[in-house]
Order: sequence, then structure tokens, then C-alpha cells
Amino acid sequence: MTGLPLADADGGGRYPGFSALAQAPHWDPVTAAVVQGRMALPPDVRFFTPAEEAAARALFDQLLDQHAEPRVPVVNMVDARLAEDETDGWHYDNMPRDGAAWRASLGALDREAQSREGCTFALLPLDGQARLLQDICDRGQDLWHGLPADRVWGLWTRYACTAFYSHPLAWDEIGFAGPAYPRGYKNLGVDRLEPFEVRDVRPEADPTRRADR
Amino acid sequence: MSGLRERNESAWLLPAGPGTNSKLRDRMRRYADDDEVDVVIVGCGAGGATLLQRLARAGWRAVGLDEGPFWDPEQDWVSDEAGSHHLYWTEPRVIGGSDPVPLGSNNSGRGVGGSMVHFAGYTPRFHPSDFRTFSWDGVGADWPLEYGELRPFYEDIEAELPVSGERWPWGDPHGYPHRPHPVSGNGEIFLRGANACGITAKVGPVAIANGRFGNRPHCIYRGFCLQGCKVNAKASPLITHVPDALAHGAEIRPDSMATRIGFDERTGLATGVEYVHDGINRFQRARIVAVAGYSIETPRLLLNSTSPRFPEGMCNDFDQVGRYLMVQGAPQTAGRFQAEVRMWKAPPPEVSTEDFYETDPAKPYKRGFSIQCVSPLPITWAEHVAAQGHWGAALRRYMSDYPHWACLGALCEFLPLRENRVTLAEETDRHGIPVARFSYSQCDNDRQLMSAAQQVMERILTAAGAQEVITINRYAHLVGGARMAAGEQDGVVDRNLRSFAVPNLLVTDGSVLPTQGSANPALTIMALAARAAGVLVQGARRGTPMSMKED
Ligand SMILES: Cc1cc2nc3c(=O)[nH]c(=O)nc-3n(C[C@H](O)[C@H](O)[C@H](O)COP(=O)(O)OP(=O)(O)OC[C@H]3O[C@@H](n4cnc5c(N)ncnc54)[C@H](O)[C@@H]3O)c2cc1C
Ligand code: SF4
Repeated sequence: MTGLPLADADGGGRYPGFSALAQAPHWDPVTAAVVQGRMALPPDVRFFTPAEEAAARALFDQLLDQHAEPRVPVVNMVDARLAEDETDGWHYDNMPRDGAAWRASLGALDREAQSREGCTFALLPLDGQARLLQDICDRGQDLWHGLPADRVWGLWTRYACTAFYSHPLAWDEIGFAGPAYPRGYKNLGVDRLEPFEVRDVRPEADPTRRADR
Repeated sequence: MSGLRERNESAWLLPAGPGTNSKLRDRMRRYADDDEVDVVIVGCGAGGATLLQRLARAGWRAVGLDEGPFWDPEQDWVSDEAGSHHLYWTEPRVIGGSDPVPLGSNNSGRGVGGSMVHFAGYTPRFHPSDFRTFSWDGVGADWPLEYGELRPFYEDIEAELPVSGERWPWGDPHGYPHRPHPVSGNGEIFLRGANACGITAKVGPVAIANGRFGNRPHCIYRGFCLQGCKVNAKASPLITHVPDALAHGAEIRPDSMATRIGFDERTGLATGVEYVHDGINRFQRARIVAVAGYSIETPRLLLNSTSPRFPEGMCNDFDQVGRYLMVQGAPQTAGRFQAEVRMWKAPPPEVSTEDFYETDPAKPYKRGFSIQCVSPLPITWAEHVAAQGHWGAALRRYMSDYPHWACLGALCEFLPLRENRVTLAEETDRHGIPVARFSYSQCDNDRQLMSAAQQVMERILTAAGAQEVITINRYAHLVGGARMAAGEQDGVVDRNLRSFAVPNLLVTDGSVLPTQGSANPALTIMALAARAAGVLVQGARRGTPMSMKED
């Protein structure tokens, strides 16, 4: 698999030639198996119904800006966690447990899209999906289809970030070399890199300087 | 450090280099359920494993139960964030209140070694003032114990972990057995910024050996302390106290979930512990029972242990069980630098300041906070960025900037409040037992500390040259819920960690803390357990029957 598509303007290409997976010979076998397993064919969807799966795909593509192949298979990764009940266990007293919260919130996404545009969330044009999501993000603690909007947003982004940033291809675009056992690091300190790390070629690309979002 | 090996040989019982001593585990002494052992301990974490080791050394027949596995770091842990999910307590729990505290990865562990398996590794002492906040500051509670009574146990545990750091100028000034570690980019930024603002910051105190310690190897600065140290460089009871306990005849029963404490209505004493192992209900008889299941599971077990004598839960005569639970407010502030900081390199615990720990009369709030390095790995960092409202293209763009960020975290001393508590929920777990419901609401003082700490972190990072700072609010370190007090109306256990209501029942974990200071709690929990063990052993030597209170 080649790298994930990411435009230069969106932070792509900052670490030219850097590959976390190329470090795999330096990883211990247990860790290597876990990380390399994420490159394998993802498990089939088992938890989400087809309608939920469609909404979840569109949701994750939006949250993680994945609109072209290759993609990190976030839907399958989240679905596998829910199917295995591999949650963090806790839930807010005004939210159901994670599996039920996912079903309820994906159903609400479709209902919201239906009431706005008369189609499911997945069938909305991309900009319509994005507007709808931004509205939920901006609602704060208000209820949205009977669920506290901030808790729904937290649920979605928590699962999305955990899946996406566990993937070695996502590490390539953020300069992170992944597992570090048993090799460890030898060059500690500001601006000190290991021989296998790649320096950012656009250090001035400070995301906080951009006006949008 | 003379006498250390005579007191606790754990580091020498491990194999040279990473790994476990499987012979020690294979040859572990095993007791039958109907043997009346001297003590059965629920939970083999910071408090439980320390007590187990001390009592086994003294010749007691001791059994430790833990709900989780008996870890083999080489086989069971990975150098990977998402792959470490099984280190956390992920049984169902319900959270509520006006400021609910998310649990999971950020709060509690499981398995032999407890939460310290994936703790960051900071091991500061509490300050003398922490034991007297009510008398001196009019807030919180006084401990039924003085700092000076705990000091020798702090020194012992610091040697056994061991702790490295610079000479510590705050609280009761003291040195550490190991030299400070070299610092990474994140620590360097903290020291530079603090220096520019006139704030004293020091390297340490961390429970990571600097140099070889017994057979334990040197830290390789790989930054995965929160995923469990595969190297055996960072301390956790699994390697600092369990090996010595096993060598002295203790038994550890992993995958054993305690469900109820046995009680004899006639004698008024605890009789042992009901637990489930491999789906089978069992009962371990014991002369003394100690509960050390962490601040949520300990109150839950007591509340679930009802009987005619204790209809509202064991030791709950005065509605104290589960109350006065505390978390520390732990806002994290990150700063953006043109240079590459690569904060994930090196252990997350590096540098701290306790300049703001004590009550400052010039401020409107009481008590204070400490500030330490934290170095989030990608998933945790992505959550930090997403919490700013960034998603989609903005999230990916922010994340591509990861090497340029440094991150500090504060620990704010939230006050113990009566209504912050664990109760039983309607919901039950796999065993059909009601789960914990944990409710949290902050008071004004708590909120003022959070914003004051954020301002200081922003000041430090800006002085170090940050172009931009962002902050998220988080919470860390649950303690309290079965607190120590001078009398039975105000707490659950006495200064020796014995419950007021049942003379042969102890609580020996973080639940007993009446206040929490701005220090990370693990060292204090271990020191308290070591002290309680000393009292038990002395009492036994004097021939005092276990059913009589000491001191
Ligand atoms: C991410 C993270 C970072 C941290 N960093 C630091 C730090 O830098 N410094 C610091 O001082 N502290 C830190 N802590 C906190 C510290 O680890 C805990 O405060 C400390 O370990 C608590 O000790 P304990 O004895 O109360 O419980 P634990 O160490 O959690 O032990 C409790 C044990 O009891 C077992 N158990 C619970 N219920 C049952 C039952 N019913 N039956 C059988 N077994 C049971 C559990 O499996 C567990 O092993 C951190 C915690 C986390 C999560
Ligand atoms: S940084 Fe050091 S102490 Fe932390 S996990 Fe790695 S080797 Fe262990």
C-alpha cells in the first residue's frame, strides 16, 4: 500500500520518504505482529447494520478527511471494537453504553439528513454532510435527537482518532516512527533526530496560523 | 542503600535484562481455599502488592487476588498505544454529576501490578501541609497521621522503586537514591520556559532506575511508559514487590474477581473473600482481609458486601463508604515551536515544579497545583487536537505538525467533597453484580485552580518561545472513597488502615486518602500500605489478637 493521499496544503508531504513500517525489523515480534496486523485485510463488518455502516462510512470519511483510496479502514476497525465489546467500559449517565450510543447516533444522523434534504446522510453531497456535522459540533451541551450533542461528538471523534492514528500509514504523515522497543531513542533534545527520523521540510506550516476552522 | 536487598530482593530475583522469572511463578506456594490463611488481599496494585510483600517477608501466610492477568511484559505488552487496551479496567461503570470524570485508559488499571503498570512514573511525596489542610487552610480534612510518621516509609519505598531525581527543594526537602535522567525536547522546553519566568523546575522524581538496579536494565528512553514498560526499567509492583513476595511464600491468584467479603454475624469479624475464578464461585478463608481494589472498586466491593449487620454495605454505618472521592484537575497545555520537539521521545515523566503547591495568601483560592511534563502519543494527541473542535482536513493538518509541539500538564488539588462519591448503579456486570456509579461535581475552588494552572503553563510555554498554545481539561488520579479519619463518624478506616466497624478488615489502597495534594498518589499509597503492614506485624509479634485495635 502506498501512502495515504493528503494534499500539501493539508499537511501532506512534510516528511519525504519517511516510513514507519520500514522500521519494523527493529520492533519486537509481539508489537510487530499487532502493528503489521493493521495492514492486513480488515475484518468484515459485523456490528453495524447496512444502514448504519453507510452512515458510519460517510461520517468517518468526513471526520478524517478520507475521500480517496487508499484509506485507513476506520469503519471496519470501529465495527470490530464494538463487535468485541472492546470499549472503555464507562458511559455517561445520560448516554447509553457505547454500542447502543453508536446505533442511536448513526440513526439520528440519517434522520437529521432526511429532515433537511430528504435523503440519508451517506447520500448527501460532501459539503452538505460537512455542514450538518459542523452544526452538531457547534451545539455544545444541547440535546440533539435526544442525546447530548457534545457527548455524541466526543464518542465519534474518540473512536475515529483511536482507529486512524493507530495506523502506521497515518504515522508517516505526522513524522512518528511507531514502536520503539527494543531500539529506543539515543538523540534526545530539541531538534535532535535519530538517523531513521525525517525532518519536517515545511516547519513554517503552522496549522494555528490558518484562518479557517 | 545498605539493607535494601535484605528488605526487598525483587530487583535481584528478576532475570538479567527484560523478562519475567517464570520459575518463581511456577514454584509459587499455593494454599487451599479452606486453609485459613493469615491474610487475603483483594487487588495486587500499588497498595495491595506492597502489603503482600511486607507481610510475606514477616512470615505471614498471604494470598493476593487480582481480577486481571499475571502479566508477562515481554509477551503481553506492546510498544503501541491502541494495542494496550487490555491494560485498563474496562468493565462497565456509570459516570455522572455536573463534571463527570471519564475513566478507562486514563484512570484505572487491572492485573498484577495494578494501575502502576501503566502509570507515568512520577513519584513525588506529599507535603507536610497536606496532612493538615483543614487546620492550616480551612479546607479539606486533617489526616489522623503526621507527615513525619510517613517519612521513613517514603524513604524505604523510594529506595525500592527506585526513584531518580534532583534534590527536591519543596515540602520536606530531600534527595533521591538515583541521579536525574537526561531530558528530552519536552523537558528542555519546560526547563527553559520556567527559567525565563523565574519559576523553579526540577528533573524528577520518577520511578525509573538510572543505571542498572539489581537485574533490571536501564531505561531506553522509548516513551511508552503508559503502555507498560517492557524493559523492566520503570517501577510497578509487578517487578518491585511481587517477586520478593513470591520468594517469601505469598500466593497470587490472578483472574480472580472478588465479589463479596465474608462476615460472621456472631463474632463481628470478616471471615475471608468470595471470588470468581474460571466462572466458579470460591471462598478463601482468612484471619484478616485487606481490600486494595482502587478508589472505585474498593467502595463498590464494600457496598456490595451486605449482611444483616451491614444492610447498607460493609463498614457503612455512618454513610461514609464511597464518599469524598477525589480526582486531580489535570489540564494539559501544549505549545507550538518552530523547532522540532518530538515530545514522544523519552519517558513522559521528566520535569516538575511544585512552586504553586501551597496556599498563596495573595490568591482567592486555597491550596494549589503542580506542573509536570506530559508527552502524549499520537492517539492521545489527536484527542487533544480534536477537543479544540478540529476535525476533517483541519485535524489532519494539525496532526502533521506533531513534532513541533511540547506539552505540560498540571495536577490541581481538588477538594474532598461529600457528594463526590461511588454508589451502586442499577446496571450489573457479567457476574450479575451492580456496577459502580461515580458522580463528580467541582466546587469554585477547583475551577479557580484549573484556570490558574492553565495560565502558568501558558506563561512557561510562551516564555520558552511557543508561537501558539492550546489547552484541554482533563482529570487524573482517583483517590478517596474509604477515607482515613480520627473517628468512625468521619471515615471508614483509622490511621493504621483498619476499618472502624470490622477489626480484622483493612483498606490499603488509594481509597484511604483524606486529601490528595498536588502530588501523584502512588508513592504515598505504597508508603501507607508499608506503614500499615509494619503495625500489623508488630502487633502480631506482641501477641495482640487481630481483633484488637492498635496504637
Ligand atoms: C495513565 C495513568 C498515569 C498515571 N500516572 C501516575 C504517576 O505518574 N504517578 C502516580 O503516582 N500515579 C499515577 N497514576 C495513578 C496510580 O497508578 C494509582 O493511583 C495507583 O496505582 C492506585 O493504587 P491502588 O492500590 O489504589 O490501586 P491499583 O494500583 O489500581 O490496584 C488495584 C488492583 O485491584 C484489582 N481489583 C480491583 N477490584 C478487584 C476485585 N473486585 N477483585 C480482584 N481484584 C480487583 C485491579 O485489577 C488492580 O490490579 C496514573 C494512573 C494512570 C491510569
Ligand atoms: S521510557 Fe524507559 S521507563 Fe518508560 S517504558 Fe520506555 S524503557 Fe520503560
